[in-house]
Amino acid sequence: MTRRSTLAVAVAGLLAAGAVGPAFAQKSGGTFKVQHRDNPSSLSIHEEATVSVNMPMMGVFNNLVIFDQQKPLMAPESIVPDLAESWSWDDKKTKLTFKLRQGVKWHDGKPFTAADVKCTFDLLLGKSKDRLRKNPRAIWYHNVEDVTVNGDFEASFVLKRSQPALLSMLASGYSPIYPCHVNAATMRTKPIGTGPFKFVEFKGNESITIVKNPDYFKKGKPYVDRIEFKIISSRSTRTLSFVAKEFDMTFSGDVTIPLLKDVKSQAPDALCDVNAAYVSRNLIVNEKAPPFDNPQVRRAMALAIDRDAFITILTEGQGQKGGAMLPGPEGQWGMPTELMEKMTGYGPDVAKNQAEARKIMSDLGYSADKTLKVKVSTRDIAIYRDPAVILIDQLKKIFIEGELEVVDTSQWHAKVARRDYAVGMNLTGVGADDPDVNFVENYSCKSERNYTQYCNPEVDKLIEQQSSEADLQKRKELVWKIEHMINEDVARPIIYHDRSATCRQPYVKNFVHHQNGIYSNWRFEDVWLDK
Amino acid sequence: MATVDHQAELNRAGANINSSWTRFTYYARRYPLGAAGLLIVIAFVVIAIFAPLFTSFDPTSTNPRTSLAKPGGEHLLGADFMGRDMWARIVYGARISLIVGIGSTVVGCFFGVIIGLLSGYYGGWLDLITQRFIDIMQALPLLVMALLMAASLGPSLSNTIIAISIPIVPHVARVIRSNVLALREMPYVEAAKAVGMSETKIAFRHVLPNTIAPLIVLGTAQLGSAILTEASLSFLGLGVPEPHPSWGRMLSESAAEYVRTAPWLVIFPGLAISLVVFGTNLLGDAVRDILDPRQRS
Amino acid sequence: MAAYLIRRFLLMILTLFGMSILIFVMLRLVPGNISDILFDAAGMVNPADKARLEAELGLDQPIIVQYWSWIKGLLTGDLGYAYVSEKPAIDEILPRIPVTAKLAGLALFFSVVIGVPLGVISAVKQDSALDYVLRVVSLSGLSLPSFWLGLLILMGFVHYFGWIPIYTDKPSSFWHEVGLLSIPALAVGFRASALIMRLTRSSMLEVLRQDYIRTARAKGASNASVNYNHALRNAVLPVITIIGIEAAFLIGGLIVTETVFNIPGVARFLVEAIRWRDYPIVQNLVMFIAVVTVVVNFLVDMAYVVLDPRIKYED
Repeated sequence: MTRRSTLAVAVAGLLAAGAVGPAFAQKSGGTFKVQHRDNPSSLSIHEEATVSVNMPMMGVFNNLVIFDQQKPLMAPESIVPDLAESWSWDDKKTKLTFKLRQGVKWHDGKPFTAADVKCTFDLLLGKSKDRLRKNPRAIWYHNVEDVTVNGDFEASFVLKRSQPALLSMLASGYSPIYPCHVNAATMRTKPIGTGPFKFVEFKGNESITIVKNPDYFKKGKPYVDRIEFKIISSRSTRTLSFVAKEFDMTFSGDVTIPLLKDVKSQAPDALCDVNAAYVSRNLIVNEKAPPFDNPQVRRAMALAIDRDAFITILTEGQGQKGGAMLPGPEGQWGMPTELMEKMTGYGPDVAKNQAEARKIMSDLGYSADKTLKVKVSTRDIAIYRDPAVILIDQLKKIFIEGELEVVDTSQWHAKVARRDYAVGMNLTGVGADDPDVNFVENYSCKSERNYTQYCNPEVDKLIEQQSSEADLQKRKELVWKIEHMINEDVARPIIYHDRSATCRQPYVKNFVHHQNGIYSNWRFEDVWLDK
Repeated sequence: MATVDHQAELNRAGANINSSWTRFTYYARRYPLGAAGLLIVIAFVVIAIFAPLFTSFDPTSTNPRTSLAKPGGEHLLGADFMGRDMWARIVYGARISLIVGIGSTVVGCFFGVIIGLLSGYYGGWLDLITQRFIDIMQALPLLVMALLMAASLGPSLSNTIIAISIPIVPHVARVIRSNVLALREMPYVEAAKAVGMSETKIAFRHVLPNTIAPLIVLGTAQLGSAILTEASLSFLGLGVPEPHPSWGRMLSESAAEYVRTAPWLVIFPGLAISLVVFGTNLLGDAVRDILDPRQRS
Repeated sequence: MAAYLIRRFLLMILTLFGMSILIFVMLRLVPGNISDILFDAAGMVNPADKARLEAELGLDQPIIVQYWSWIKGLLTGDLGYAYVSEKPAIDEILPRIPVTAKLAGLALFFSVVIGVPLGVISAVKQDSALDYVLRVVSLSGLSLPSFWLGLLILMGFVHYFGWIPIYTDKPSSFWHEVGLLSIPALAVGFRASALIMRLTRSSMLEVLRQDYIRTARAKGASNASVNYNHALRNAVLPVITIIGIEAAFLIGGLIVTETVFNIPGVARFLVEAIRWRDYPIVQNLVMFIAVVTVVVNFLVDMAYVVLDPRIKYED
């Protein structure tokens, strides 16, 4: 036995013991009070792209498979059965077949069958009569030819080409199974699922309430009777009320690193997980707007970014430098440091980078007296505005005089898509730690979420190539090659990946926050309150 | 009438009533609160205009090393979490408050006077229509109206001024109109008509100057409320956008998040707003007492 | 009198009609509509789906048609469906009104209870040190931004009592609710009390100088009786005016206070609805606020007619 496998056995044993151990102590009952930061625009996970919906709604649903809710890292190895009991690939790796659990009931009493799986994916693939108002993740399934059923308890995904990452996407909190017999419009306001909690009520700007589903197919779960998500739009009020113990848990990643100290000092026994949200701050440059159509100007901007300054100010050093994919240790696809530092603007000597940038700019005729004046557009929200203010300050060093243009939040993506901007500060959240999600959504030519309309056919080809690559190491190398290409193209240079904390009171047991994403750990079926 | 005849008192004091300095000291002594208000307002205006002389920091320049620096030392009033000097932001913030406060008051008064003058002087259908317009404009609370305006126009400095000035217009127009109605019947207007002066000329030459006093009273009273409205709008995220150091904006979001770790971020901008509005209110009261003795408070 | 009432009533209708046009047009001037917001929230761009959504909500129709269908609904009691929650707008607006009404009522109560006595004292002791102190305090009430005051109060409560007076759960009893609301009501009422105090003071002073007061004094009435029986009763009139105006104005102060204290009332709801471009909510809510304002103004005028001292003292 190799050392590694011995370790694995030991870990497995520990986990098994852990799984049994606390089972004796679990207490049922109680109301779990969770903070919520804003009013979601609907309750339909498939129509939205925000944790504001996933957090309160994931408990209402089940997926086919799910990232283990008790493991801190989302990875292919941590995918466990949910509505599917087992799954298997065919020989060509183009057909993924799920055996489904029997005897599962929707919250309205109707039985769950394979037809519901087909309906869900027909909806996402745009094949059904019923339509989603918005379908932000349609691109995730661009490789899915069809979903077929065999009897009531078997469903298969037929792919155009092999795609090992499909399972990871299906295991994300973004991929619940919807019922056939409830239309998409109803799912926005009165969602019905198979999950551990039934939806009760959504009071706009006030609260979302879900209650225990007594008929849940995982026997004995969930433990809490009721979860109340209270919408509090002011962050200071949220912090104060958590510290005053009005709530059991904060909103996802709501406690920024500078705030964490305060929370810890006021509520010393609070448990706070600092996690990578997988939301990057990035610079966007309109390559069609002169003088930014000149690759040299874009290169100078990429060189001017002092990532450490951003990370120090905004996250007290906790943020991470990296490419588009989440860097290690949490990220599965992060580049080795030496490789990353070869990318333009990532070199460790910031002063040297900036000197090079200044050289480029002065060769183009700019100087301290003759600056390049530009509007830096961003959304009128603090998490966008704050880094933009720092960016403007840094661009001063390379003779670019930025003026902040705050864009009403309703207009942001549309304005970017119209290319009605020159330079912008943007945030990009990624639903699952896989290049098939991140690259395909944000950098492939045909994606609806690629609102900067970055399009490089060569990159597109590489994205497809890595997607069907079965060998993990080879796939990683392809991914890193793509990272370099998109960085050299100055397509959304990543400034940093954020880390922030989610806090809970010490009596909230058995909740594990994923360390590499915020969208998939809200099932709450294992959580119990030790009060 | 229990009004104060300042002229008589000045005469009695035997002062040279033509010296404006004497008049000023007389009023300052008679209205100590008003004088204090004037001092505050002057200090505010001076700081706003000569902001760079009061601080060596750039209010928008960020500094990782001074994030949330405590008051005292290099940063007199501390620094916000982006390391921007609070004193510099308050000093430059005075500019924003001044521009928005005076800008919206002046714009609002200007249109208010024109509308009030025309509708009061000419009467008839013009008056009828403007009166209905004023009714409509006043059917909503000031902040609600400003909120809707700010939302329609989008966030920017000039739009904030417009949004705040619009609710001021009907208010001013109404007061001016009632003044004009009284002035219209004055003998000198009759006289001007008799010598064949044109109506427009009479309105602007003889009636308008006589509305100056109530206008000043109104204007100073509105100034404080305009500054407060700007603060509220900015607090709600609809007023003056970053990176302009608006006091109201400084109190919203970012600052409020740190109320516990860095209370100075909340206390100082709030104090600045309160102090300036307090000053304009003190001044406004005194001005009203002097120019409009019937309403002495 | 009847003719005056009818005239006033017709003018009120006209004002509200004008208001409906104003708010309707203004809302359409706001950049972006609900479909922009929804697609932006999903971080995606899909013009075809967006156009479909606009058609579904009737946003593609000519503005006149949209206006007419709103007014028609308003007159028949159908306020339409909220865009975001997809619930009937009436069900979104109505349950929030009592909360705001209670808050406003409490704030008004505090402002009168504080403002009127202080105003009277200040007037009776005119130009004394006490008068100066009270005037400065009342002016500072007019100068503090109510949201700042609210924030300081919240900070203080958490710091000293480890308890936060915000509205997270439905209050368990009437008194619990009054307790919760009275803290934000004080924050808002402080400002209103300042206005009321100033007005009470000045109108008291005015009345105290009148001939009939002198007559009453000459007749040997005691100082207190003169101050409170004669003067206050007459000074109350302008105070009623300001209370009426304040009642409407309060809504403004409530917008920020409801945000700070997380109170689920209409004022904060309006801000949110504007942010979402939720036309059915904003239009109807603004009309509601306008109706309240206009009716309150009307009632204040009526109170004037009823309480006019000249009518009272002619005998």
